[in-house]
Amino acid sequence: MLEVKHLRFRYPGQEAAWEFHFSVLPGQCIAIRGASGSGKTTLLNLIAGFLQQESGTIQLSGRPLEQLEPWQRPITSVFQEHNLFEHLDVATNIGLGLHPGLKLTQDQRHLIDEGLLRSGLPGFGSPMPGDLSGGQRQRVALVRAILRRKPLLLLDEPMTGLDPEVKHNMRALLLEEKARGVTLVLASHDEEDRKILADHHWNL
Amino acid sequence: MLANRYSAPLSHPGWQLVPGLLLGLGLLILVAFGLGSMLVTAGSADVASVVNSRYLRGVIWFTVWQALLSVLLTLLVALPVARTLARYRQFPGRSLMLRLMELSLVLPTIVAVSGIIGVYGRQGWVTALLNNWLPGHSWSLYGLNGILLAHVFFNAPLAARIMLQALESVPSPRLRIASQLGLRGWWAWRSVEWPALRPLLPGLCALVFTLCFTSFAIIMTLGGGPAATTLEVAIYQALRFEFDFPQAAVLAVIQLVICGGLWWLVFRQRLEYSLMPNRHFVQGVQLKAWPGQLWFSTLLLAAFALFLVLPILAIASRGLPSLLTFTGHSSPYEQLLSATGRSLLIALPAGLGAVSGALLTLASVSKARGRLLTAIPTSTSYLPLIVPPLVLGTGLFLLLRPGLGNNAQGWTLVSLINGLMALPFVIQVLRGPLARLDTHSRRVADQLGVIGWYRWHRVYWPLMRRPLALALAYGIALSMGDFGVIALFGSPGQPTLPVLLYQQLGSYRMSDAAGTGLWLLLLMVVIFGLLSVIGRPPAHHRYKTVRQPFPEPEHA
Repeated sequence: MLEVKHLRFRYPGQEAAWEFHFSVLPGQCIAIRGASGSGKTTLLNLIAGFLQQESGTIQLSGRPLEQLEPWQRPITSVFQEHNLFEHLDVATNIGLGLHPGLKLTQDQRHLIDEGLLRSGLPGFGSPMPGDLSGGQRQRVALVRAILRRKPLLLLDEPMTGLDPEVKHNMRALLLEEKARGVTLVLASHDEEDRKILADHHWNL
Repeated sequence: MLANRYSAPLSHPGWQLVPGLLLGLGLLILVAFGLGSMLVTAGSADVASVVNSRYLRGVIWFTVWQALLSVLLTLLVALPVARTLARYRQFPGRSLMLRLMELSLVLPTIVAVSGIIGVYGRQGWVTALLNNWLPGHSWSLYGLNGILLAHVFFNAPLAARIMLQALESVPSPRLRIASQLGLRGWWAWRSVEWPALRPLLPGLCALVFTLCFTSFAIIMTLGGGPAATTLEVAIYQALRFEFDFPQAAVLAVIQLVICGGLWWLVFRQRLEYSLMPNRHFVQGVQLKAWPGQLWFSTLLLAAFALFLVLPILAIASRGLPSLLTFTGHSSPYEQLLSATGRSLLIALPAGLGAVSGALLTLASVSKARGRLLTAIPTSTSYLPLIVPPLVLGTGLFLLLRPGLGNNAQGWTLVSLINGLMALPFVIQVLRGPLARLDTHSRRVADQLGVIGWYRWHRVYWPLMRRPLALALAYGIALSMGDFGVIALFGSPGQPTLPVLLYQQLGSYRMSDAAGTGLWLLLLMVVIFGLLSVIGRPPAHHRYKTVRQPFPEPEHA
């Protein structure tokens, strides 16, 4: 279970601090609702450890996360864009998610190919991200996120601006993850995304 | 789960912070020792007598005067060139022209000077033309003429490139409005060009002034007498010929004060110019032209290109025959090859050292927190500019003089100082590409645990191999062309290539000199060529960048 308790944060010069407080059960998805600028992305960055909270705690299955470095947290994020290293090919981008020094076993290489196949990108290991369309890039990011097998997925507008077919494919993959017991935190403007994926809503 | 907070090799932040800090501290100590020994020696001099000496006052006056004139002439040439290049953004040969203008950064001074002599010297091409058309003219390259000519040759392309960058970064909406209103001439200048150039002019002037103030090789070769001597040359003479160490020290202190002050001005102005070729192809917005402007511009650029190319052609055409003579009483290669060996022995470690030092420094700056901790690695990137190589060399020379027994020690010292002098430039080359990894990518890398050695090996290395190769080439080239520090510590019997070239120029063996110049030039070409091949990523990794230098607004 993910428990975010009285997590407070403010940017330099911001008067009133944001405070986040909610919890999600394993295998469920919470959708964060709020106008732009209301702190959705900030919340996800706090959970991932990219920003430092003023106070409050983040626990995953009872284990406190808030003092850990980003790479120590059992979390994967998918952002709206810039998920991939532009100068590294697709397979390397995914592979770095499996081992940070790219020391991959034969099985892991196989997993990458399979993941690409499942997301409708068979044989897309060697192109550079710059050669792909926006939808293809997001699917690559999602493949990496899924292959990492982390118990918590943070989704920051992951499907905004993609065409319906791609969205359909990605949602299906995410539903599978939920069924596997992965916890999802979703920030999305898209009503349909929320309807299909979310079990709860939380308003900022 | 993770027992260790930093699981990847070398991922403790200390690995990024400490080496750069140590390097910075070492450099500070080295400079302190150099300056300290200089001040001690200067203290024993009768300062009043040095300052009152007619000769020295003449030297100081001439140093300032020639630098001022050089700045003026440089701007006079660079400004129209930059404006023209900014106005015409698409013509055949434009990128070749820009390449040519980058050449002055790496062309060894002494080589260029030999080329300039080949064009404007006593037997030069242009002088020959003058002799035909204007018999009885009194043109002589040596003295102020030659110094100014060489300074403009080196600094006008640099200044024009910096100004061009400023002009090209004028927001295109402003250009479009100016174009729509049909502004030209004075009003185009006032509304578009002057606002873009004004902020960088003071820094640019200070930069060019300092470069001209410290140009040792040019004065040594083209000065031609005590009437045209600058501080650096006077320091050198005091050290190597008159053995008047206190006087050398006093002069070095004067030099340091003036240069340091000027660099301080430059840094305050934050004159950030990038040495990396970062050409973006902006769709030029055409401003209204004067009748005949096209012709005038063509003529101007052609003249400027000719000005830059002629000396190089002179080296090539005169050097080639000399390099191709294998017979005769003395083959040039005996001297050339041993000098090349010595040059490489000094330049390769200097270049490699400068690149590693630059990386350590940049890593350290990015990790350092707090004023003092940040200041130490930051100083590494500026200190070598503020303390001119010859001044630092003078200090260390005075400090180590009794102990400097053999050549090997002298060369180690030369290599070290050359490496330090290259540091600021190498850092400039590497800083931009290193910063290309944006916050997003860094966050992704953090989350994936791609830190420490893994981050360097997997993320930075593919991104940096090209700039690293270029930086290494710059570092080697700068050290390879050095004529100042080696003049202090080297011995005439065992010259490096620039020293050999200087000796040949000095004894009027012009064809030998041209041969050496061409050889050095070819060596540079080989170094840059080799490193650019090494720096090229493997074929399937070449990625197409989605180039959008000026992101158009959505509604455009």
